[in-house]
Amino acid sequence: MELKRLKLVDKSFVIILLLIIGFGLVILDSATNGLSSDPDYYIKKQLMNMMIGLILAVMVIFFDYTQFRRYSNIIYIVSLLLLLSVLFFGEEAKGSARAISLAGLPSIQPAEFVKVFIILAFADFLIKRQDRLKTFQQLIPCFIYMGLPVILILLQPDLGTALVFVAITIIMLYIAGADAKLLTRLIALGVLIIALMLFLHFQFGMWLPLEDYQLKRLTVFVNPYEDGQGGRGLGWNTIQSLVAIGSGGLSGKGLFAGTQVQLNFLPEHHTDFIYAVIGEELGFIGGALLIICYGILLARAVYISFHARDLYGSLIIMGILAMWLFHIFENIGMSIGLMPITGIPLPFVSYGGSAMMANLIAVGIILSINVRGKGLIF
Amino acid sequence: MQTTRLLIRKRIATLFFLFIIGFFVLSGRLVWVQFVKGAELTEKAIQNRMRDIPVESKRGIIYDRNGNELAISISADSIYVIPAEVKRSGKAKEIAAKLANILEADEEDIYKRITRNSSFEWIKRQVEPEKSQKIRELDLPGVGMTEESRRYYPKGTLASHILGISGIDNTGLEGIDQYYNDLVGGTKGRIIIEHDAANRPIPEATHKYIAPVDGANLILTIDETIQYIAERELDKMFKERNAKSAAAIVMDPATGEILAMASRPTFDPNHYNDYPASNRRNFAINDVYEPGSTMKITTASMALEEKVITPESHLFCPGQVKVGKESIGCSGDKAHGDQTFTKVVENSCNVGFVKVGLEVGVDTYFKYINSFGFGQKTGIDLPGEATGILVNQKNAKQIDLATMSMGQANAVTPIQLVTAVSVIANGGNLVKPHMVKQVIDNEGIVIKKNEPQIVRRVISEETAKTLAGILEGVVSNGTGKNAYIEGYKVAGKTGTAQKVAPTGGYMASEYVASFLGFAPADNPKLACIVVVDAPQGYPYYGGWVAAPPFREILKDSLRYLEVPAHELKDQTKDSIEQVLVPDVVNLPLAEAISTINNRGLNVKVSGTGNIVWQQTPKPQTKINRGSQVIISLSPFAAGEQNSEVTVPDLQGKSMKEVAKILSDLGLHLLPEGYGLAYEQTPEAGKVITSGSSIKVKFQPVGE
Repeated sequence: MELKRLKLVDKSFVIILLLIIGFGLVILDSATNGLSSDPDYYIKKQLMNMMIGLILAVMVIFFDYTQFRRYSNIIYIVSLLLLLSVLFFGEEAKGSARAISLAGLPSIQPAEFVKVFIILAFADFLIKRQDRLKTFQQLIPCFIYMGLPVILILLQPDLGTALVFVAITIIMLYIAGADAKLLTRLIALGVLIIALMLFLHFQFGMWLPLEDYQLKRLTVFVNPYEDGQGGRGLGWNTIQSLVAIGSGGLSGKGLFAGTQVQLNFLPEHHTDFIYAVIGEELGFIGGALLIICYGILLARAVYISFHARDLYGSLIIMGILAMWLFHIFENIGMSIGLMPITGIPLPFVSYGGSAMMANLIAVGIILSINVRGKGLIF
Repeated sequence: MQTTRLLIRKRIATLFFLFIIGFFVLSGRLVWVQFVKGAELTEKAIQNRMRDIPVESKRGIIYDRNGNELAISISADSIYVIPAEVKRSGKAKEIAAKLANILEADEEDIYKRITRNSSFEWIKRQVEPEKSQKIRELDLPGVGMTEESRRYYPKGTLASHILGISGIDNTGLEGIDQYYNDLVGGTKGRIIIEHDAANRPIPEATHKYIAPVDGANLILTIDETIQYIAERELDKMFKERNAKSAAAIVMDPATGEILAMASRPTFDPNHYNDYPASNRRNFAINDVYEPGSTMKITTASMALEEKVITPESHLFCPGQVKVGKESIGCSGDKAHGDQTFTKVVENSCNVGFVKVGLEVGVDTYFKYINSFGFGQKTGIDLPGEATGILVNQKNAKQIDLATMSMGQANAVTPIQLVTAVSVIANGGNLVKPHMVKQVIDNEGIVIKKNEPQIVRRVISEETAKTLAGILEGVVSNGTGKNAYIEGYKVAGKTGTAQKVAPTGGYMASEYVASFLGFAPADNPKLACIVVVDAPQGYPYYGGWVAAPPFREILKDSLRYLEVPAHELKDQTKDSIEQVLVPDVVNLPLAEAISTINNRGLNVKVSGTGNIVWQQTPKPQTKINRGSQVIISLSPFAAGEQNSEVTVPDLQGKSMKEVAKILSDLGLHLLPEGYGLAYEQTPEAGKVITSGSSIKVKFQPVGE
């Protein structure tokens, strides 16, 4: 690849991304205050993850993304193996096994990387079947293709990440030209079945593949005080998050000054509930600013996708977009009591090495598509 | 391919549009959470991390009408722990041992409490200052103390039923302390400490002290001296006759102010747990009984008011009267023969009253007893007043009317009766009895005033006058002779009622003896009732059991109030004779008065209290018969023989101890501050007169 192609890099995308990462580091510094005896422990680790991620991203930019198509099957199989390895060698934490550690290296969460890999593989899979996405029968192979990793993830269990795959599947199918009516009907049918099952479960005690407390955890956000313990049980996280954000007001209590965060009322505040920290310490201004930044980032990604050289590139970008969007909606949504609590991180902001690296690899892929976009061909 | 490309672009645009909507939803919800719900959630954030430690306010002082303290508040430290802090220190066992040692409590129990999963635990409330000082010196982690006040009643059992009791958490549980709890209790203060999620106080974080507002002070209508007289006389009779219970009320008939109210058995509110709970029943207002003949004053009132009868009307008593199938007799079925209505009242003739009552009729009878306030609460400002039980008017037959007319069948309270007799005493008005004259706050500003309240006119002034004259005859000629006081016209009515057995019917050998009346008959200053439940021995009649204490209470009270006595006819002649002044110092007031009167001297009382501590002229001086001896009173029973005492050293003592020591010596305590005594004027060792005041400054320990 010639270096001059790099000039085509979407500068707005890169700047806004760096802004989000910087914003994330600042808030993380405050959120991890007092969590460790070394006050800079978390921030150092996060910085290092970011550096590694950036290096990986730059490497990916120089790699021609169309070459990924050749290795689609390998990528897919490696992904499944990674997920399987988690099931066998995973380190259990809080009831589910998500991370594995390879000889001496820091532990990683394969599912974070697998999300990106599967997007690459599924894009190729879809292009090969581009004209055969009109009927339900034709869609079945797609569902099986995406269903395998979803099942493996559900076995961890990690409902949040599984749902990310569902979002990716639907959006990529839609972009790939699947029949829109059929897709809408399938989504409507899915929602209906879930609603019916929930209704049957609550009214007639029908069996569900979920424990009661798991189910309760998903529904309690609607009324967090009705958790059977007056808000001290499963509703606690939602309540504390709402209290944190609500007490932040317009401009917040200031960094290191949020009582909900600094006095540990808000659980998981450096990972899942990082957005509540922003809401409490930086107020509406901080919270809205981040949403706007994400908006711009995604708009730029859409723009790049628009001008991708081929459908493969567009599909990959829209897959990544679906992934980020779902993370953003779900993470912010659960912080403000709009979504059930499933522990998925806020892209580029939440503490966590695997997520940071995987997301930066995704950035590298987007930029690789970007620099090889139409601008150079015509 | 081109169409596909177009389709994809369209779809990307569609999705992008959906995303934008999504972002708006997120932002909208953010606005709602932060601005609409913001204030509420901010409050929650504060509640999350603030722990309150209550700081009790001091209850107001209860004074008698002359400003004598009947109930005060003294302060003591209460020990608490914050279990989370104890656990963090890792020395729970050690702390429990030390606390148990100092507080003389069970170590196991304390250990359990200081390691409990809560944010705040009391260890012991209101501990002695020495102990709290020791604990303070140890400076144990997680152990703190806050000052709480508790009631102290310097006069012990005096007026205990009125004052009531208050609990450890500074609330009035009974009596006036309960009735006026909102005013007397004040407002709790708080110490607010910021805590984190693990319940650890944050060092150097928000510590806010919200000072408590002390309660307002009550000025009762009670006169400590009259209360003392009433209690003393009631006690004497109660012990002599070994009665089940007894009550005495002295009321100003014109205003409804209660000057004294005593019930027996009694208790010391400082140590109320040492007495059976039943001792705390205030018979005077909480219990009902069938009054018997004292109730005849209402029958007489209505008969005279309705002109059914005049004082001169003649009635014949053959000893019994038939009402329907039943017959009602006079005491012992004794025939009174032909008599005027005046005589009927003087003799308390049942037959006469039954005849008069039947003449009045059921409806009129009920109209009047309702008007007199029976069957309803008088509205006195004390908790738990009983309503009384009247015969149901709808079902009342002639026989009911007959028995009601002579005072049986209806159940009433002593306070209702004394209010009813006040109607006759004050010229026909029902007044509302009350206990509190004024409520004043700590700056001395009057925040509530109970003005005398006339509920309604019951009978005409004329009827009241006539009846007062007849009732005076009861004392001078009739069944109430034992209530006669030399020098004063006394009006009254005896009562001896059979008691209703729990099984129904009347008990053969238990009676309620009572005396109800007022004095002076022509210008009543005091109305009084004495009720004795089940006196032992014979005679059990009201005229023998209740009239003597009634007489003593009124006699001493009238003199104490300096109500002018009538000139005694045969006394003026001997007035030139010289007599020796008796020594009355240190005698109780009543005894002193009667000793001086016996020598033919008059008494002028100055000051308040019940013990004489000074007299002029000095004992053994010769003065003219009929001259005046001035005696000064001290409200405290002096322990010493002479009226001079040595000031004790009060250094380092608690307010409770100081109050006890001084009251034993007959000295007044003027406290300042709280905690332990550190300065006093006059100094220890000085000789002063009993009844003087000692100013004592208190300061909290360790500050």
